[in-house]
Amino acid sequence: MKVKVCVGSNCTLLGSMGILDQIDDLKDIICEDEDSYSDEELEVEAIKCLGFCKETTDKVAPVVVIDDEPMFNATSQTVMEKIVKKMRK
Amino acid sequence: MKESYVNLINIRRQVFAKIAKMAYDETDLSELEKSSYEILPGEVAIYRDSIFRERAIVDERLRLTLGLGIRKPTEYHRVTDGISEADVDETQFNEPLVNVITFACEACPTKSFYVTDNCRKCLAHPCTNVCPTNAVSIGKDRANIDQDKCIKCGRCKETCPYSAIVKYERPCAAACGVNAIDSDYLGRAKINPDRCVSCGNCIIQCPYGAISDKSQIYQLIKSLKKNNHMYAIIAPSFLGQFGPLASPVQIFEGIKLLGFEDVVEVSLGADITTLREAKEFLERVPNEHPYMGTSCCNSWTIMVEKLFPDQYKYISDSASPMVETAKYIKSKDPEAIIAFIGPCISKKLEALREDVKDYVHFVITYEELMGMFVAKGIELSEIEVSKEIQDASALGRGYAIAGGVAEAVKDTALKIDPSREINVEGASTLHECMKLMRLAKAGKKNGYLLEGMACSGGCIGGPGTLASINRVRKAVTEFKNQSEYETPFDNKIIEEELRDK
Repeated sequence: MKVKVCVGSNCTLLGSMGILDQIDDLKDIICEDEDSYSDEELEVEAIKCLGFCKETTDKVAPVVVIDDEPMFNATSQTVMEKIVKKMRK
Repeated sequence: MKESYVNLINIRRQVFAKIAKMAYDETDLSELEKSSYEILPGEVAIYRDSIFRERAIVDERLRLTLGLGIRKPTEYHRVTDGISEADVDETQFNEPLVNVITFACEACPTKSFYVTDNCRKCLAHPCTNVCPTNAVSIGKDRANIDQDKCIKCGRCKETCPYSAIVKYERPCAAACGVNAIDSDYLGRAKINPDRCVSCGNCIIQCPYGAISDKSQIYQLIKSLKKNNHMYAIIAPSFLGQFGPLASPVQIFEGIKLLGFEDVVEVSLGADITTLREAKEFLERVPNEHPYMGTSCCNSWTIMVEKLFPDQYKYISDSASPMVETAKYIKSKDPEAIIAFIGPCISKKLEALREDVKDYVHFVITYEELMGMFVAKGIELSEIEVSKEIQDASALGRGYAIAGGVAEAVKDTALKIDPSREINVEGASTLHECMKLMRLAKAGKKNGYLLEGMACSGGCIGGPGTLASINRVRKAVTEFKNQSEYETPFDNKIIEEELRDK
């Protein structure tokens, strides 16, 4: 599973590094409980600005992309929920 | 910064970006009246009970970010009142730096112990047996603590087998190491200016975002638009602050794109401070002075000045790294206008001091700088540049992390006089600093070099940071290892006389 977290200027301003930190901690939770989660690797990548925020006047940052599906106004809570749902057996 | 306070971070930083954008776009400041509606659109409250209250709080934040004072809730004032004062290209600052937005404060109860639903009124009830003031009794549903009798020793909490007793503290007061948070007549936080050292810890710990400092970004941007000879000096903790993809040199180039002529590492000044403090220590301790305190953390030095005035003379006379770096630039370019960028809000006060104000003209935090990058549409990771930054030694770059200052000064002093034995002790919260100074005052730290830092973990834990402390610690250590110079003696930028052992 591939999680991309935008760390462009807008997203960094609005806390994308906090989301990265939270996902890193989540990895530990998943590793410790092998029985409940699939063995699929959780790949986390910090990426450059994808340009979503520049195409609109709506508030979209922070942006997180999980397996090619973008999430706007992402929070660590919504991102982690999605990851856990997808990875739980 | 407290990363998990996501909503508060968002409100605070959107305000920074907004004010920076107004400055870059030269928007008429009368437009400020609309800003809170742009930051908080719609009519449904997101953060509090009412959108109108949310906007009123944002209005105060906008004013503080412009450097203006808080409006009195009892008098009619427009959000733009006094705006002409702010519409200038030099720092405009009126005390206090740290302000409680009174109508954002939820008047949290002060420190107390109380019994929760977990209580089972057990037969042993050790809570009553350990209380030294007989304040705990067993009530109808649970144990009761008589708050008038309670001396807050916490023994009942420790002994309860059901974790039924909790300690309740106002987060602002708990974060304040110098006991500067009082209450007003409505029970809201009120800062005692005689004790406050402007460390900013209450700002980041308040869960309602009710405390804020003042900013200078608006005036800085105006100055950048008008003046040449603008220089930025950036504190040793800048690594990793602006996202994992922004390299140190991209950060430097990004700052130049904001209108600065050049950027210099404050670690260079740290090298100079190290050399001066090492020599000062060897000369003065123990003959003239019983011990020496470092001088680089402004809140620590204000704390000693305000609360241990008879000990203040034992704090090093050497100027802080910020000031030394600015002096270095001034020696190269006498017309230089210098902005310090760091994790610290206390530096905003240091820069106003009589002996500093001609060298450091603006002070902003990393958070505020990020607001400027966003306002100007700068993407650091996309800047193409291949250069190396080599302004400072590894020891100078280590100043950002608690213990780094004393380590640098000790190592350097030992290079000058290897026969000396130097004891070092550090404190890296104001609570710890207070304890350390009490011991020093009692004569228990004679012969010591004392490193005081107001923020937990050192400057990397400062209130104006963007990245978590672990992230920054890693990045600082990596950058430290990339330095060409091991110690300040090797740093060729520094004049030889000072490097002379």
